[in-house]
Amino acid sequence: MCGIAGIVRADADAPVAEEALRRMAGALRHRGPDGWGLAREGGAGLVSTRLAIFDVPGGWQPMRGERGTLLVYNGEVYNHPELRRELGGAFATTSDTEVVLRLLEREGVRALDRLNGQFALAWWEPAARRLTLVRDRFGVRPLHWAALPDGGIAFASEAKALFASGEVAAAPDLAGIDEVFTTWGARAPRSAFAGVAQLPPGGLLVWEDGEPVAQRTWWEPDCARGGSAAPAPGDLAELLADAVRLRLRADVPVGTYLSGGLDSSLISALAQRATDHELRTFSVAFHDARYDERPWQERVARALGTRHHAVEVGPREIADGFRAVVAHAETPLIRTAPVPLHLLARATRAHGITVVATGEGADELFWGYDLFKETALRELHVRDPARAEALLDGLYPYLDVPAERRGPAWRRFFFEAGAPGDPLFSHGPRIAATAVVRAFYRPEAAQSLAGADPLARLRADLPPGFARWSALERAAWLELTTLLAPNLLAAQGDRVAMAHGVEGRFPFLDHRVFAHAAALPPERKLGPGLREKAELRDLAARLLPAEVAARPKQPYRAPEVAPFFGPHAPAWVEERLEARALDAVGIFDPARVAGLLRRCRTGKASGFREGMALVGILSTQVWHERFCGAGAAGWPAERSQPRVRLDVAAGITS
Amino acid sequence: MGETEVGTGLRAKLRAYVEEAFLYLHPDVELRDEDQFLELGVIDSLGFVELVEEVQSRYGIAVDALEITEENFGSIDALVAFVERRRPS
Repeated sequence: MCGIAGIVRADADAPVAEEALRRMAGALRHRGPDGWGLAREGGAGLVSTRLAIFDVPGGWQPMRGERGTLLVYNGEVYNHPELRRELGGAFATTSDTEVVLRLLEREGVRALDRLNGQFALAWWEPAARRLTLVRDRFGVRPLHWAALPDGGIAFASEAKALFASGEVAAAPDLAGIDEVFTTWGARAPRSAFAGVAQLPPGGLLVWEDGEPVAQRTWWEPDCARGGSAAPAPGDLAELLADAVRLRLRADVPVGTYLSGGLDSSLISALAQRATDHELRTFSVAFHDARYDERPWQERVARALGTRHHAVEVGPREIADGFRAVVAHAETPLIRTAPVPLHLLARATRAHGITVVATGEGADELFWGYDLFKETALRELHVRDPARAEALLDGLYPYLDVPAERRGPAWRRFFFEAGAPGDPLFSHGPRIAATAVVRAFYRPEAAQSLAGADPLARLRADLPPGFARWSALERAAWLELTTLLAPNLLAAQGDRVAMAHGVEGRFPFLDHRVFAHAAALPPERKLGPGLREKAELRDLAARLLPAEVAARPKQPYRAPEVAPFFGPHAPAWVEERLEARALDAVGIFDPARVAGLLRRCRTGKASGFREGMALVGILSTQVWHERFCGAGAAGWPAERSQPRVRLDVAAGITS
Repeated sequence: MGETEVGTGLRAKLRAYVEEAFLYLHPDVELRDEDQFLELGVIDSLGFVELVEEVQSRYGIAVDALEITEENFGSIDALVAFVERRRPS
């Protein structure tokens, strides 16, 4: 696991300054604290910061292949031993990097289909002056790029390294921010920054001698069963066990994140079986019992016999960690949920663990989220309103307001949030609820967004055949595309874990597990009576205590308003939300925000709508200050000696 | 048929709630008692959920699904009339 970055110029003779590369490496040091390397030649410069997991002594980057091409690579290809055997011949290292490079040199990007893993890479072919950027299927690993004025291109795992290069200026892209406040994340290629693109999940970009010549996806999720009655490929028990086994391959100790729910408990159980060592499990615990799942976490840890660690999080920890999380996430947020995971990664690292497997992805693949149940009920409502309404009352048992008090208006909100024929039907309630943040825009900001409807862009990007998919299949695609990649795997995944040099691994996002899930009969995912994830529960019943296997889903949430108000609230919260600070950023309206603040200070803003608005506004202010403000921090250059230096420009190769 | 004295207090309280909970998002709107919330756009669909919840819990009224209409919840006037009619005496 690593950070990667680089610059290629249209003019082969134009140098890439070592100092710029050192600043880019410095900005990505948290991703790869074990050392760094650089390569410079003919109008190109590449850097890598490394978190050593395979072949700790070898495997340094940039790596030069037998045909003279260069690779910087962030991530893991789990089936690299099998690929190495298939390729044959001698290898200088035992790292997966060398296997990927040799595959690329022999087969080009066709080889990507053979890779089982999570990765982002940049491959430089000097003879053709061709740069190929690639991102893994689900977008586990990030990759950003920016076109340079001279026709060149700069790329980096995180946008901050682009800014550190001195070649790309940080400025907000209101349309990207508007996507955060519509579907919870800016969707690639868009980012929250103007002029900074994200490579889409499963995407590749080829730049050749001065211009991008190809931008396409090499893999896309097909969530449709297509009416097929054929059995789903493979057996889940075998596939998932193998996905876990492959992901526990590391030359360093590994652990799992354990929420206490079905998915992470299942991964922990399989991990325990797959490893010879005592498995380490790590959990977030909350002071506030409404969010806390400690009893379940401890029950699973005891049953599996793991060495368990919990990080207890209260309002103060959330307030204290918030700014750092925004800086790592590089985007406005709508929830505080990434903050506890940031603290969890810190604790995991402090216990000497750098690789953790988690249950991420299961709810998208096996329709576990309440959103899938909502969608089913909203469809049912057309045929059988009474039954749909009765069943809806059983949803959201964890909300502060009990079902009997949420009552009929709540039902109407769901049942009137869009027509079943609308391709975005499943996401109507979320989009309607999230729109509260947009109501705080100052009129000029709202005006400048006219004509940039984020939902129109999403509709235009729906895959062919989408209209023929079932409402739940569409919901799954939309969850993968709008929530998983832009939010859960990024702000709440890669960024907060890599902030501490911890690598998350996601067995459910093994493409073979995905193919199995997509081909299951729908009732194996969401069955009669809204029983979710039958396919997973049947497996869990064999591996976990019965009450864990049968436990209803509890979404992961963290307090939103309480951390930022009251006697222990940090002073910067009110400072960032003052009229002067809001005017300086120019996105939110001070009078409206003042009204929200009155509600927050008096403890009246307790609903999730106002919580989302507060987190959205505050994170935008913090984000702008960190990256776009006049006082944005500088980017100190990496001063240590590189572990690799391939420097044709300076005549050095070592 | 004039509003009762109790009703005046009720009107002031309901107005104060609507202003505090919703109108801050619309600093330019001068809301009159007969103005329609949805028409003016001062309360969105989820806001409507909160409004109905508040009326239920504040005045101990069990609202039926069929009663959630603009006639009953659509303006300050409508709210006052609905609560007066329905709250336990």
